[in-house]
Amino acid sequence: MTAADFLPHWPPAINGFMVFGLLLLAGLCGGRLAATTRVLPAITGYIATGFLLGPGGLGWLDAPLLAQARVIAEFSLGLIVFDLGRRLDLGWARHDRWLLPMGLAESAISFAAMFALLHLLGGIDSLEAAVAGTVGIATAPAVVLLVTYELKADGPVTRRMLWHVALNNIVAMLGITVLLPFVEARAEGASWNPVARSLWIVAGSFLLGYVAFRVLALLARWIGKSPGPQFILTVGAIIVTVGAAQASRLSVLLALLVLGACARNLDREHRLIDVDFGRAAQLFFVFLFVLAGAALRIDQFGTIAWLGLAFVVARTLGKAVGLFALAWPAHISPRQATTLGLALTPMLGLSIGMTQPIYDVAPEFGARLTAVVASGVAILYLLGPIATRYALLRAGEGEPAARD
Amino acid sequence: MPALDFAASAALTFGVELELQLVNTRDFNLAPDADDLLRRATRDAPPGELKPEITQSMVEINTSVHRRYPELLAELRATRDVLAGHARKMNVAISGGGTHPFQKWSERKIYPTERFLSVSEKYGFLAKQFTVFGQHVHIGCASADDAVYLTLALVRYVPHFIALAASSPYYQGVDTAFDSSRLSVVNAFPLSGTMPFVRSWREFNTYYDRMFGLGIVASMKDFYWDIRPKPEYGTVELRVCDTPLTVDRAAEIAAFAQALASWLWEARPDVSADVYLTHSYNRFQACRHGFAGTLVDATSGVSRPLADDLRETFDRLAPHMSLLGSSDALAALDRLLDGGNDAAWLRRQYAASGTLPDVVRHQAALWAG
Repeated sequence: MTAADFLPHWPPAINGFMVFGLLLLAGLCGGRLAATTRVLPAITGYIATGFLLGPGGLGWLDAPLLAQARVIAEFSLGLIVFDLGRRLDLGWARHDRWLLPMGLAESAISFAAMFALLHLLGGIDSLEAAVAGTVGIATAPAVVLLVTYELKADGPVTRRMLWHVALNNIVAMLGITVLLPFVEARAEGASWNPVARSLWIVAGSFLLGYVAFRVLALLARWIGKSPGPQFILTVGAIIVTVGAAQASRLSVLLALLVLGACARNLDREHRLIDVDFGRAAQLFFVFLFVLAGAALRIDQFGTIAWLGLAFVVARTLGKAVGLFALAWPAHISPRQATTLGLALTPMLGLSIGMTQPIYDVAPEFGARLTAVVASGVAILYLLGPIATRYALLRAGEGEPAARD
Repeated sequence: MPALDFAASAALTFGVELELQLVNTRDFNLAPDADDLLRRATRDAPPGELKPEITQSMVEINTSVHRRYPELLAELRATRDVLAGHARKMNVAISGGGTHPFQKWSERKIYPTERFLSVSEKYGFLAKQFTVFGQHVHIGCASADDAVYLTLALVRYVPHFIALAASSPYYQGVDTAFDSSRLSVVNAFPLSGTMPFVRSWREFNTYYDRMFGLGIVASMKDFYWDIRPKPEYGTVELRVCDTPLTVDRAAEIAAFAQALASWLWEARPDVSADVYLTHSYNRFQACRHGFAGTLVDATSGVSRPLADDLRETFDRLAPHMSLLGSSDALAALDRLLDGGNDAAWLRRQYAASGTLPDVVRHQAALWAG
């Protein structure tokens, strides 16, 4: 033992705390820079920061570091999706009988447009086109919620937007689960029953979300309606559910969405209060989007970048057609339909959340999928938050500098 | 400038303006949905008129002109049903009450009409703080001088109306200890208070000309008085009531105002400037304590609980309400003296549920009928 043994190695080894802290600080700086433009939402700054630091940019964030950060990313996503689930008021669909058809039309027509483009015009294999089209149905919940928080947006378009996002995520999630067995059937070495796996994911996630809600409601009855304890209770329930979903190889996204939706629709005695995650949520948002930016790879665009661009156009037009088709009977004004369509622009990253099982069971298929739509995803990473921000401001439902 | 013309109307006709809260059904905070609700509801052309108000979380119902209480009540219920139906389709709720219990005034958005933007420019933060909800009752007057008399004679009864309609105990997230905290917001406006003590429409015009000439007012709308003549309608407008929690209560209070006008014009009790001596005190007592407040009569020098004076007033008005077809309204209002006003109801909801969002949820359900 030498006298200098107590000193750290130089350079010191990066650990999880340092990664989390540094990404937060770097994201914050990126977000501030974006905000100074007065056009870009802070989220664009977070994503750009992640991209710059990630493998596609300077390469400071490598795969092992990103893997360390994944635990917190999953929790962040769980928090967001739970909040989205709380916006899925099924009672609303009972009163407005056009709400559900409009959500389904928007999902179905955008799927049809993306599938037709990729398969019929792009010559992409039908299963790949179907998976890509299904992924494209979903609007990125984290993006729309963060922009909503940032602008303190509220009003008819914001409310509808969040409802559509919750619904189109469920539709896409179910669609992916249906397609998963077919993807697996093609993957080499698939030795277990793929249909059973899909059933396990859907039924298990629903059951987990529901059981978590029951526990949450039971504890809420006991601790009462004080905001402080309810905040801890809710966050605790989210963490446990995320962990349980991971441990059971279920869908974190679906389980948390179900938990949030149950909290909104099944809490008949009103035991749960509408906990405001506030600044705590912002912390995780920054982190999540820096990570999402780090996952962005321009070198994966491949030779069919034009197809990605066309994919974006088909998706946007499909959603717009779905919304406009039912706007008149649903008493939605053309202006509202337009802003709603624009607000639904953000799209999920391919390798996080919903599509993760595909990458897990069929990495090659996942790589081909990425090649097809990576440029589209990149475009939507950039344009999505801007479009949502513009749409909500245009609808008169947000304040440009609401949340500093 | 030309003298203000008073467009005489049929005496004792009446109508109501009700300012209502739009709340979301998630956390029951105010929802900025006035524009959308008005756009949708106007398609169904409910009776009367629907209008925006100063901020985007408010809508206003203006009823048609009526002669009898049952007709007014029927119209208010029909309008409520139309609005509630559309609100449900928008996933918002509508609520009565003089204040929203926990909204933050700084978060409100001014409704973008020329008038409201100019009010916002003129009054600064007061404009957003004016996100409070009142009921105005219009009483038709056969002549301008009758209107001046009624405006003065009703001053003594301002506390009665405040206590009957009081529904704003909570404001900005706290129990204010007032039954009606709304009027404290109105007090901040420079032209609030009471009409000057004038005896005729000619005298009133002289006063108005001076205020107009001095550049202080541009129209009668600039006076935020508790009671004011409304020359273009040919009415006297009583403006001290909180929006009650139900349209039924709103109609009952309007019927009370109609009967009171009927009695005042018939009995013509003398009104002296003394009434202003105690007005602010009596008004405060009613806002703070409701029926338990003290009423000081400057003329007789007698002080007594407001509830006692209300009972006596009800007895005096009973024959008039019978003739006007509003005995049911009188009975309902009389029951409040024992059962408590809307402010008491709201406090009971809070005691039972423990959170202000729950209170709003209950009050929205009550309003929807």
